[in-house]
Amino acid sequence: MTDLIKINALYFNRGDRAIFSDVALNVPKGSIVAIMGPSGTGKTTLLQLIGGQLRPDRGEILVAGECVHTLNRSALYRLRRKIGMLFQSGGLFTHLTVFENVAFPLREHTQLSESMIRSIVLLKLQMVGLRGARDLMPAELSGGMSRRVALARAIALDPELVMYDEPFSGQDPISMGVLVRLIRTLNDALGLTTVIVSHDVPETLSIADYVYVLSGGKIEGQGTPDALMHNPPAGVNQFLQGLPDGPVPFDYPAVDILKDLTGEEAGHYA
Amino acid sequence: MLNRVGDLGRSGLEWVRELGRAGLLLYRMLFCIPNIRKHGLQLISQQVFAEGVLSLSIIVVSGLFIGMVLALQGHHTLAKFGASMELGPLVALSVLRELGPVVTAILFAGRAGTALAAEIGLMQATAQISSMEMMAVDPVRRILAPRLWGGFISLPLLTLIFNVTAIYGAWLVGVQWLGFDSGTFWSNMQSSVDFHADVVNGIIKSIVFGFVVTMIAVYQGYFARPTSAGIANATTRTIVYSSLAVLGLDFVLTAMMIGGW
Repeated sequence: MTDLIKINALYFNRGDRAIFSDVALNVPKGSIVAIMGPSGTGKTTLLQLIGGQLRPDRGEILVAGECVHTLNRSALYRLRRKIGMLFQSGGLFTHLTVFENVAFPLREHTQLSESMIRSIVLLKLQMVGLRGARDLMPAELSGGMSRRVALARAIALDPELVMYDEPFSGQDPISMGVLVRLIRTLNDALGLTTVIVSHDVPETLSIADYVYVLSGGKIEGQGTPDALMHNPPAGVNQFLQGLPDGPVPFDYPAVDILKDLTGEEAGHYA
Repeated sequence: MLNRVGDLGRSGLEWVRELGRAGLLLYRMLFCIPNIRKHGLQLISQQVFAEGVLSLSIIVVSGLFIGMVLALQGHHTLAKFGASMELGPLVALSVLRELGPVVTAILFAGRAGTALAAEIGLMQATAQISSMEMMAVDPVRRILAPRLWGGFISLPLLTLIFNVTAIYGAWLVGVQWLGFDSGTFWSNMQSSVDFHADVVNGIIKSIVFGFVVTMIAVYQGYFARPTSAGIANATTRTIVYSSLAVLGLDFVLTAMMIGGW
């Protein structure tokens, strides 16, 4: 299977803090690949790097054979037409109705007639089960509905790749179940390639074909969901099992509590 | 001492960096004009409505009251020198040359500028601008440029309306209330006002102010920190920086105009 995304020797820093050090990963065409890890490990940053919103300090990010960070603006925008992205907050335009939100990329990038746009939008909304909500404003939608509308908008131009940024966070069990089923169904029915960034372990592992676990700027573990669950690498076990302490400490670094309480270290914080 | 020098240097560098960032944004907004072939003039006319038409009420009411106050104060002062018949020229010249462009620009910054900064800042905070970028739609061309052109077109028109309303307010107080002769009021005004030196120069000022105020609002919104405090800061800075820029530029432009360019 050929790779739609290839990342080689990626280095990225924010100020003095290294976010990624020598990260390499591949996303084969047609698969669902999950990128998991504790909060603050740079999962969303990785999506921004793949989408060309950020530039790596070193390394190479190839999407559909094109090196994202070396493209000029028009070439990058041409590439982005092949990519759909679902943001954690949905990113719906608050001044447009559900219908107009989904129609937005079609109006911007195609010369389709109004009746054709209407048909496509209704079909996309039907896929996510929200055809009846077409006239609602984003403020009238629940969190789960917002993400489904954003998903319909992300697939409006029939992209090759869809990236999901924390699609399950803050969702009730019903919305979560709906989203899990939708991601798998859309991937298989439309022949998409999917990248999911998430820290919701059971939901993500239930639909992913391959999983990368990020921690401390490196890939701590990778494999199929079964392999990871049954034989987790040492650095990954804490995250997958949801253990409070381990390589990621429960306590934020601090001086010894006895010294702190007796005031011996007060000078540090005065 | 060295720390203070360091802090001064850091803030200087930060200021230069912000200036460069604003310059690049301005360059992109000027050269990425809204896609007229696809949207017609719809995007710009929407902004003229949002920034101009929706500011009309505050401009008209303010203009009316400023004209009325000016007439009262003018009458009070001019009467001391027996020059009450100069009320028309006093009001017209004050409004056309200074008060019209300056007050309209400051009111515009408060009404439309802060709304622009908050709207764009909120779009950043809720990932609407990022999602637009990922849909391969340039937010500078689709969101920012129409707003800049909208402000650029709206402010001179609002200034004209302010001028007319303020002069009407002065006429109401001077002629209808204080009993000046209407013919003297208008004929003295007509003979004292020069179309180029007074009316056109006032409009030139308002064109410059429209551009500067909208640019400040768009910049503050686009680079606002995506938090509630960040958006609050952006709106505050918009009104503060715009007011200072308008007052400062007014002095520079007036000096240039009086000096005959």
